[in-house]
Amino acid sequence: MVKLQGYLQPVIESDQLGRTAGQNVPIGEKHLILDFLKRRPAPDWFFSCCHWGNTSCLAAMPTVVLMDASLSMTRPVALEGNEEFQRKNLAIHGLTMLFEHMATNYRLEFTALVAFSSLWELMVPFTRDYNTLQEALSNLEDYDKTCLEAALQGVSNVVQQEWGSACPCQVVLVTDGSLGIGRGSLRHSLSTLKHRGDDKKFPLPFPFPAKLYIMCIANAEELQTSDTLENLEQLLTLSAGGGQIFTMEGPLCLKSVQSMFGKLIDQAYTPFHAVLRCGNLSSDVQVFPRPEPVVIDEEVEPSPRTILTEVDEVGAGTAEETEEETSTTQMAGKSPNFCVLLHGSLKVEGMVALVQLGPDWYGMLYSQADSKKKSNLMMSLFEPGPLPLPWLGKMAQLGPTSDAKENPYGEDDTKSPFPLQPKSKRSYAQNVTVWIKPSGLQTDVQKILRNARKLPEKTQTFYKELNRLRKAALAFGFWELLKGVAELLERECTLLPDSAHPDAAFQLSHAAQQLKLASTGDPQYAAFEHSITPMVTDFSGGDRDRM
Amino acid sequence: MKMFSFSHKTAFVVDHCPYMAESCRQQVEFDLLTKNRSQGVIPLAPVSKSLWTCAVECSMEYCRILYDIYPTRKLVNYIVSDSEFHVLNSWNQEAQNTQELMSALAAVGPPNPHEDPECCSILHGLVAAVEALCKVTEHQQQARAQLMDTADRVCNRGRIICLTNAKSDTHVRMLEDCVVETILEQNKLAAGSDRLMQIQQCELVLIHTYPLGEDTLVSDRPKKEISPVLTSEVHSVRAGRHLASKLNILVQQHFDLASTTITNIPMKEEQHANTSANYDVELLHHRDAHMEFIKSGDLHPAGSTSRDSGLKETVTLKWCTPRTNSVELHYCTGAYRISPVDVNSRPSSCLTNFLLNGRSVLLEQPRKSGSKVISHMLSSHGGEIFLHVLNSTRSTLEDPPSISEGCGGRVTDYRITDFGELMRENRLTPFPESPAPAGACGKVPLERAKAQLERHTRYWPMIISQTTIFNMQAVVPLANLIVKESLTEDDVLTCQKTVYNLVDMERKNDPLPVSTVGEAEASSTGPCGTSWRRWCAPTSGAASATPACWSA
Repeated sequence: MVKLQGYLQPVIESDQLGRTAGQNVPIGEKHLILDFLKRRPAPDWFFSCCHWGNTSCLAAMPTVVLMDASLSMTRPVALEGNEEFQRKNLAIHGLTMLFEHMATNYRLEFTALVAFSSLWELMVPFTRDYNTLQEALSNLEDYDKTCLEAALQGVSNVVQQEWGSACPCQVVLVTDGSLGIGRGSLRHSLSTLKHRGDDKKFPLPFPFPAKLYIMCIANAEELQTSDTLENLEQLLTLSAGGGQIFTMEGPLCLKSVQSMFGKLIDQAYTPFHAVLRCGNLSSDVQVFPRPEPVVIDEEVEPSPRTILTEVDEVGAGTAEETEEETSTTQMAGKSPNFCVLLHGSLKVEGMVALVQLGPDWYGMLYSQADSKKKSNLMMSLFEPGPLPLPWLGKMAQLGPTSDAKENPYGEDDTKSPFPLQPKSKRSYAQNVTVWIKPSGLQTDVQKILRNARKLPEKTQTFYKELNRLRKAALAFGFWELLKGVAELLERECTLLPDSAHPDAAFQLSHAAQQLKLASTGDPQYAAFEHSITPMVTDFSGGDRDRM
Repeated sequence: MKMFSFSHKTAFVVDHCPYMAESCRQQVEFDLLTKNRSQGVIPLAPVSKSLWTCAVECSMEYCRILYDIYPTRKLVNYIVSDSEFHVLNSWNQEAQNTQELMSALAAVGPPNPHEDPECCSILHGLVAAVEALCKVTEHQQQARAQLMDTADRVCNRGRIICLTNAKSDTHVRMLEDCVVETILEQNKLAAGSDRLMQIQQCELVLIHTYPLGEDTLVSDRPKKEISPVLTSEVHSVRAGRHLASKLNILVQQHFDLASTTITNIPMKEEQHANTSANYDVELLHHRDAHMEFIKSGDLHPAGSTSRDSGLKETVTLKWCTPRTNSVELHYCTGAYRISPVDVNSRPSSCLTNFLLNGRSVLLEQPRKSGSKVISHMLSSHGGEIFLHVLNSTRSTLEDPPSISEGCGGRVTDYRITDFGELMRENRLTPFPESPAPAGACGKVPLERAKAQLERHTRYWPMIISQTTIFNMQAVVPLANLIVKESLTEDDVLTCQKTVYNLVDMERKNDPLPVSTVGEAEASSTGPCGTSWRRWCAPTSGAASATPACWSA
């Protein structure tokens, strides 16, 4: 139901960044359009459909950096000035760049560092502290050979332990492209894929949704001399969650590693900008984590649904403006922002806002406070589709209250049009008859008998239960039961104590006779819609008046 | 994720030939004597169901579970076969409920044991089932209409579940061949028709059912490809409870269901109201509700027990007695409809009634370590019960920044109350889909809601110190009216009156309710006249926001 939950951070409005008004329709398109639903009183839909007590949870995009620490990473590359670089240094340089980018733009994301050779080790557990990551990176030692399979299994364990299996992750594998030889090498792992038992399955695809980015500290030419690229491509296919292989262009140097990690950042770590719009009020926002495209039906709608129509060249633009940004941030704190207004009113009114992200894709915004009473504007996205929450009805059919003939919330605001009742009741809400287990049948017969013994007081219930049994027996073609119950009622009749009301005997034999008639299948008596009605007696007439 | 998979269309074909009137040879005692009345009374002989009764009640149970969990989009066409075929309902959504089917079944009645067996055959029903699968459903029609050029993306697959008593394996092969041929013929017909669709894939599930104590003449066979269009599997099952549990397993396989057993439900005893005992209730639901368990590998060792044939597995979750006063909001990642396995047993109905009355129950996942993890919640919405999946792992959203730390966070005079008022005026309410409601201008309700928001926000300063007119009591009538879609004569008069009133106030040099926030400058300019001119400026903005009818 709920695909994802995230923060909505207002960002500095574009005109404050010095853009002219004409250019200011910016960044992410597809505006978020607001409408309002009542959140209170608690008993209606909001209470349980959504979210979050102190039991916390899911769904940003943590990153695992999987760093090759095998000996081959220490191979030197061409000299640059006086300094001799190893591939490892280049890798660290690239990762530093990634960490710096994330510290600036993604300070709420979690990142972990795993180093591997023939063994693997979790160097830094998931953290938002990029200094720790950086430090671990620079203290990284050199080990023996590359065994990717064990390391991927390690990543799988680390992620599942921390986030469970529903949380989407990004895995950034940094390697020099020499993937080992013999047992434990990637080539060996891949060639034995089909001959494995359940206990030794290959770790890909990961049990959680994952994108795999492979950063090769090698250029395409040198990789072509071996089957490395083929193996890595096969790995990417196995991973099944998408991703990309990046190789370096030209000579191995700081510049080319920067350009490679730059591509990764563009591909996977560009902040998600959008405009939150409520009529003529709007605010540029950044959404953490970035919402991913969704494929609804691979046949009918094979292309994934996205919120962004196009990713513009935003990344480059903001990079140049970094300096200006810091000064405007302070200024921006003091100029009014729609997100803050909306958050405040949602909080005070106890309401949620419905937000539309695209055709048939909706979510909701609400104020969310943590235990320290810090509150923020949260957005939860629903599963794309016209009817994400059945008890709200079709989203497109939600309209302004003022169009309704009378206020569905009541004049004194005590009612709610939600939840909507479905057209037909579910089996557990309509007293269905199931006789698959003998106890089901026995209970139904006992109910009739219990009421039979309390005739004429229980005349109505007696016939109600009798008719229920009759209907089911007719539908199931179980005529033998009708005969049996008829006999049972006749016997009850003979067992009536002297003190019994005379009406009891009349009703019992009438009911028995009607059941017998039905059991012949004669359409006059065996019609499904027909019901056995109480026999009208002098006694029963008086009884009914009393009821 | 396919909208039109096999499970979109299920054709039930139930044998109504004379042989099905045979007893299943499992007796049901229905005359249970209560202790205090047993003296001298001989209980009545037990009854026994016919093969037909067994087939009907088990197939109805299949449909009951299906309709509980998928009220729409998963359709059943129920066909009965004897000397001819009887189609008991259609693919239409209105025809998709058990009451309708029960009524139609009652009209058919049990098989006539005296009918000539030579005239009767399950084949009539199988042919009718193939014809039915070629018929376009409302959902397929809609999807095709929407896709226009790419309408061929809408697939037509289906499943035939055939409950019969076959004579031999050769007989079964004959039935399969007949289905293959009929599909070929019908597909030819469908190719030239707009109202029919060719069957791309069909899954035949043949269930041979026979009385207890007899040897089966038909052997089980796993799914096998008979032709590129047809796969077929054969199940040979004794009637009665064996058939029931087979169909229960099949409905789970066919519709991706899984089972959860709620354990430790405290219930008052009927006899002794003061004591309570603990009960278990088994529920079916979409298997995605167990996704976390399956993926983490927790499903097998910790929470599951194998029962019956060993094919059926259930996850056990422990009832946590709800605290009445807590109205927590839970972070929930999915909600799945449920159907109780034993719908009218006392523990099941107690649980479902408890939930239908608006209560919620948290469910705890038993863990090896003994730690307590709440993983699910049961709760109803509008008469339907849903199993909610709660996230029980660490949150990537922990420690979010406060909104006050961001842009606009240090501004203190937002018009929070006024915006709350605007939100309440723009609250949503559901409208019936057809006929088009009045005042629609052809727009769907949500578009009208957006249009209303647009009108309401044409002039809307966000902070108190940015506005004077919205701080003035005298302007209220005008401000309330100006956002309307159209103004009546009276409305126009009221607006004019408001404007004249303002002019009058200016003439009298009435003080303005100028907020002091950052506006020392305004008061320092001295004469009120200046500030009147200054502060009235925004009204021109309001005027531009006037609806077209204003000028008319």
